[in-house]
Amino acid sequence: MANKKINKKNIAKLLGDWSKEFELFIPSKDEGIAKFAKWDGKDTSFLDWHRNTIVPPKAIFFPPVEEMFSFQKDKQSYHIELPSSDGQKQLIFGIRPYDANALTILDKTFKDTYEDPYYLPKRKNTVLVGLGCTKPYDSCFCTSLGGSPTDSANVDLMLTDIGDEFLVEGVTDKGRELMSMSSELEEATEADETRAKETKEATYQKVTRQLDTKDIEEKLLSSFEIQDLWEEIAAKCISCGICTLLCPTCYCFDINDELIKDRGTRFRSWDSCSFPVYTKMPMENPRIEKWRRVRNKVCHKYEFYPMNFDVIACTGCGRCVRQCPVNWDITQTLEKMQAKVQSG
Amino acid sequence: MKDRETEQRLRREAKALLEQGKVDYIIGFETGSLKFTTTPLITKDKDSVDRLIINPFIVNNLSEYLTELKGRVGIVAKGCDNRSIVSLIQDNQVKREDVVILGVPCPGIIDLSKVEGLVGKDRDELDDVTRDGDKVVVTVDGEKKEFPASEVLFDNCLGCEFPTPQEYNILLDESSSLVADKTASRKGIETLEGMPQEQRWDFWEKEFSRCIRCYACRSICPACFCERCFVEESEPQWIAPVPRWQDNLIFQVIRNIHVAGRCTDCGECERACPVNIPLRSLTKEMYDLVDDLYHFKAGMDKEAAPLMTHYETTDPEDFIK
Amino acid sequence: MKQESEWEPKLLGFLCRWCSYAGADLAGTSRKKYPANIRIIKVPCSGRVDPLFILKALRLGFDGVLVSGCYPGDCHYQTGNYRARRRMAITKKFLEYVGVDPQRIQASWVSASEGGKFTEVVTEVTKGLKEIGPNKLFADER
Ligand code: SF4
Ligand code: SF4
Ligand code: SF4
Ligand code: SF4
Ligand code: SF4
Ligand code: FES
Repeated sequence: MANKKINKKNIAKLLGDWSKEFELFIPSKDEGIAKFAKWDGKDTSFLDWHRNTIVPPKAIFFPPVEEMFSFQKDKQSYHIELPSSDGQKQLIFGIRPYDANALTILDKTFKDTYEDPYYLPKRKNTVLVGLGCTKPYDSCFCTSLGGSPTDSANVDLMLTDIGDEFLVEGVTDKGRELMSMSSELEEATEADETRAKETKEATYQKVTRQLDTKDIEEKLLSSFEIQDLWEEIAAKCISCGICTLLCPTCYCFDINDELIKDRGTRFRSWDSCSFPVYTKMPMENPRIEKWRRVRNKVCHKYEFYPMNFDVIACTGCGRCVRQCPVNWDITQTLEKMQAKVQSG
Repeated sequence: MKDRETEQRLRREAKALLEQGKVDYIIGFETGSLKFTTTPLITKDKDSVDRLIINPFIVNNLSEYLTELKGRVGIVAKGCDNRSIVSLIQDNQVKREDVVILGVPCPGIIDLSKVEGLVGKDRDELDDVTRDGDKVVVTVDGEKKEFPASEVLFDNCLGCEFPTPQEYNILLDESSSLVADKTASRKGIETLEGMPQEQRWDFWEKEFSRCIRCYACRSICPACFCERCFVEESEPQWIAPVPRWQDNLIFQVIRNIHVAGRCTDCGECERACPVNIPLRSLTKEMYDLVDDLYHFKAGMDKEAAPLMTHYETTDPEDFIK
Repeated sequence: MKQESEWEPKLLGFLCRWCSYAGADLAGTSRKKYPANIRIIKVPCSGRVDPLFILKALRLGFDGVLVSGCYPGDCHYQTGNYRARRRMAITKKFLEYVGVDPQRIQASWVSASEGGKFTEVVTEVTKGLKEIGPNKLFADER
């Protein structure tokens, strides 16, 4: 199917058409912060502000707190009830390329390693409509990780800003099906295609933060035992969970039961390897010193994940850099590490 | 200009402290990796003190690191940070002789979120933001815009009673000329006080529904120095360690009770919160409450007993039957 | 409507064993009947009561909490009730600001010989709780 376009003025109508079929999520600032929220049927304010949401869209598939099952004591055994899933089809509109990429990275854990019964059904029921960035932040570095601000690799349908309109490209069959569900889309012209191409090239150049990722896995391996280095790197970290909880590729969770008399619920909730009490429940945290925790976070993304899955578990979204209350910066960390390893 | 001189003096003093072996570490600020941002510098290395800076964006309360570092520490402290240090001394968490306080009289710190709100651009899109007396000059797209400082300083700075450190070893400058605006500083609280009770509770329900339990508010707070926080206790489990608004709200209420008389209104918890929960509308209320009830201000006197370990026989009890 | 009138508030009392708990006992034995709305937890001193106990009680659905100890100067451990007084003051006032009706958080001084006063306090507190209705603070739908 050829590419199409949509006038920004008609976005609400397009979303309206899709929302007949899907539960629709859009980037929203409704609750005081930028995150993905259910569409209220009219809000298109993201057209004016949408850059990077604070809470990543992973929260739709892997929410901060999620019921796993409830249980009721029944004589000598327990009766277990799984949460009901309505199988509702979902559409995420306006997901950024780095966040879509993060979902592909999360799939390695939640789909390829084992089949996570909470994440997967939602993931399968969801179509992703990507929206390319036009104004990357100074914290963004997706281009250092093989991405680009307008990359369509991990979405079903891709939108590129071409002024008063968006160019609409069908990427997968699911995406092309979406195109046929609305009569708001017009045929794209040659000129539109050219403009889209120009925008893509120009935006790519706007990502100024660079990280050299060549041989990074090996370098991290050789830096692993340099305690001084990691102590220096970790010094200012305060061990909060911001960088990890808000990272679109972090997936650690904690499990808790809540009991009242003979019935209860089991929940899972976001956890972070930055916390001193991480894994304290089954045993001790093997990483009591802060530098070990900071090292783990960096190595998990840039060494262990590539070892296991051939892909760096970082998309360069820059959230960890921008949201950290002490401006701990993963790119500076990796630069410092590389300099140290190179100097021997 | 003035910052530049203070900065030079700071670097000299810090270098001397390290060279003479008077301290093991220096904690100060250096240029951060994002526009206008500063970041804590914690160093043993006398050459890296040349990276120390003083500017209108040195926001962190560095006393947070004192309980963690072993040895003697030279620390850069603004007015509120200074009181946090004194409060830690009162609580026996830090020994006075182990800290060399490099006091900075503070003219107030610029809240970039306020600047963003006023000019309608994000911080990385601004060319420059500078302080000029009681004005702040913002340059956007080559054009200069002036704002009264009272519109762009952090709310807690506007309410600051002691911008100039009272307990120091070296004072890096003459006393501060901060223009306080008490009303602006309490705006959030006054709005809440104007609401009926149920509506206030609803307000907090809504706010705490987005808490993700990152615990940045606790981690960044110098008054939260417990090795083990009640939140992580499992027998008994006081609150569920999952981010549900009910438990989030209890966490914050109890945290406020724990830091009563220790909180210096440094504003760090609210600034750190990634989901913009107006935490200072709680902490500042508690700050004022203990002042009203017990005429107690945190971190004013290193010899004074901590508020909640102390009592007066004349303490108010009109609420007791 | 019917349910409303049948509803009885649940009050949780933390009573110091040296004074108020004995006071409650005395009220019982001398037939100064106090409302059955109160469930009592005996504590070694009013100074044992952590604000967490109060929040936890409200979270579990109690409609009100009463902390009762020895009169100032009479604490078995000299200072426990003075400390409790500060804690209770900030807890009550702070929670009021957050949005909890101050009637839900109560404190009293009741000595071992004051069975009558204990009955009065519990009656009064229960009456207040009836007026403000059930504690729905932590309910998802209020
Ligand atoms: S790096 Fe920053 S955000 Fe991450 S745990 Fe440390 S202080 Fe928190
Ligand atoms: S590590 Fe940081 S930059 Fe990389 S994906 Fe996570 S939050 Fe984004
Ligand atoms: S909330 Fe209370 S228990 Fe937790 S760290 Fe802070 S002061 Fe300690
Ligand atoms: S509670 Fe907040 S404002 Fe008070 S000292 Fe702690 S971080 Fe600073
Ligand atoms: S910083 Fe904000 S989001 Fe994090 S635990 Fe505190 S209140 Fe919750
Ligand atoms: S012993 Fe009764 S209050 Fe302390």
